[in-house]
Amino acid sequence: MALIAIIDDDPDILDASSIVLTSKGYKVVTADNPGDGYKIVKEQKPDLIILDVMMNEPDDGFFLAQKFRREKLETPIIMYTSVSKSVGLEFGTGEIVPVDDFVEKPISPDLLIEKVEKLLRLHKVEE
Amino acid sequence: MKNLVPEWAGEYKEFWASIRKRNLWLIELRYGVVVMLVFCLIISKYIFKVDYSDTQFIAISVITICIFVYNSILHKVRKFLKCNPHGFNPLYFSLIQMILDLIALLLLVYFTGSIESPLYMLFVFHTIIGSLVLPSIVVYVVAGSFVMLFIAMLTLEHFNVIPHHQVIGLMQIPLYDNIHFVVVFLLTFTFMIFVSVYLTSKIVGQLYDLEKNLYDSIKKINAAEKEKQKYIMGIVHEIKAPIAAVASYLDIVLQKFLGPIDETVEDKLRRAKYRTDEGIQLINDVLNVSKLTLYDQFDEEELDLEELISSVIKRLNPVATSHLIELSFEDKRGEKKKITGDKFLLDIAFSNLIGNAIKYGTDGGKVEVVLNTEDHNQVITVADDGVGIPANELPKIFNDFYRASNVKKISSDGSGLGLSVVKKVVERHGGHVKVESPSKLGRMKNPGTCFTIILPINHPKETE
Repeated sequence: MALIAIIDDDPDILDASSIVLTSKGYKVVTADNPGDGYKIVKEQKPDLIILDVMMNEPDDGFFLAQKFRREKLETPIIMYTSVSKSVGLEFGTGEIVPVDDFVEKPISPDLLIEKVEKLLRLHKVEE
Repeated sequence: MKNLVPEWAGEYKEFWASIRKRNLWLIELRYGVVVMLVFCLIISKYIFKVDYSDTQFIAISVITICIFVYNSILHKVRKFLKCNPHGFNPLYFSLIQMILDLIALLLLVYFTGSIESPLYMLFVFHTIIGSLVLPSIVVYVVAGSFVMLFIAMLTLEHFNVIPHHQVIGLMQIPLYDNIHFVVVFLLTFTFMIFVSVYLTSKIVGQLYDLEKNLYDSIKKINAAEKEKQKYIMGIVHEIKAPIAAVASYLDIVLQKFLGPIDETVEDKLRRAKYRTDEGIQLINDVLNVSKLTLYDQFDEEELDLEELISSVIKRLNPVATSHLIELSFEDKRGEKKKITGDKFLLDIAFSNLIGNAIKYGTDGGKVEVVLNTEDHNQVITVADDGVGIPANELPKIFNDFYRASNVKKISSDGSGLGLSVVKKVVERHGGHVKVESPSKLGRMKNPGTCFTIILPINHPKETE
């Protein structure tokens, strides 16, 4: 079963996401800061990354995603946002966000599972 | 080339607008002067029997025609002037007008008897107008040059180097050859001109300072408003994090990820989830309002409103069905033109309006959404047969946090920000929102409400 890395500085969000994903049989690794997050992704090579956009600093998650992409890491990334990205709080208009999908907090279990499944399926097809 | 623009005024729209206005005002006034000159010439010659010589009559007529011609040219050129602080701008245009007028006036004074002509008083008028628009140093230089020319003219006349044009019937005794009178006259005249420039420049300088202070204050207020919005966003964001965590847990428990739960507990947890969602909705509304205030730019893409509204309707249909409300959408446009706008913002606006219509509609009632074209606008109406809005509260419903009194009785949730967001979004697109209650669908008990959004097909950019 696929391995999913969740990186978020809110322990409850980490916990809640883990419960949802493990219930569907996924294996989960977590990190509560961008540094550890980078490490677990490099070491354990997850099939999917879930990243919070704001950790200690605004855009920490966004910069981490950019870093992954610059290092040619093509693992699909889902970004947790605190506000729907629709009005463009975190990202200026026209800015390229190097992630595959967004999930707005609070996390709806159904939506999270749907998006994770969809991305994993897409990624398998590409491979 | 001396820069005539005050430092603070460079990019200040109001400053240029007022200079442009003054230039136009001077041009209009000058047409009046031409008419007056023609009128005075005829009246004085034929009614008051003032005896002009042929030279005088022709000269005055030619000067009048010249004023008319250069004024017409200025009138045409004015339209093409750009308010560029570093290039040829309306201030240089004012300077040219002032110089042309002074030349015309000097010649008119000369041909109507120079020192004996009452027209010399108009010099004061010109220096005052010049001081209103131009920097004082420029006006001093221009006024000084003309005073020198005037002095030279009188001196040359006095010593008969150039002919004196006396207006017979206006002044019986020639004054130009009376050296004492000429000297006293010139001293008084020079004094009067420079004092007028001095006083006017002082007053205008003070006004400019006031305007500058006002302008700075506006800038400070805007900056403070942005700071305030950032502060609000920061705090609300922080509040959202724990609430979002709670909501996530509630979902996990309610959706039985942790195993079965007791029915009574489940009922209370559902209630807790409902209230948490209310809180999150409120937070999102506050964040949306703050963002709209903070971010000036927005996406501009070609959109088809029919497609956009259809997707909103599709999303809200289940909600309408659960209230037994018949939600209909009709596109009545002849020509399906696209508009330029921000898809997400418009989506929020339409969702808010249609969502409200369902929320405050009557169970078993109707909500009608119609898209139409009117002149160069796309017009969207959302009508319901719900509770309606009391007439005295209609003007207030677009205010932040305002909720109509009858609506508060029906449901406790709702932040009172939804319509404020609608208004802000629509205004960003160069459009406006109207509201009517009762609506065409309303009946006695349920008057209903009808919102009309008017969006221009090509909205002018706000920067222009």
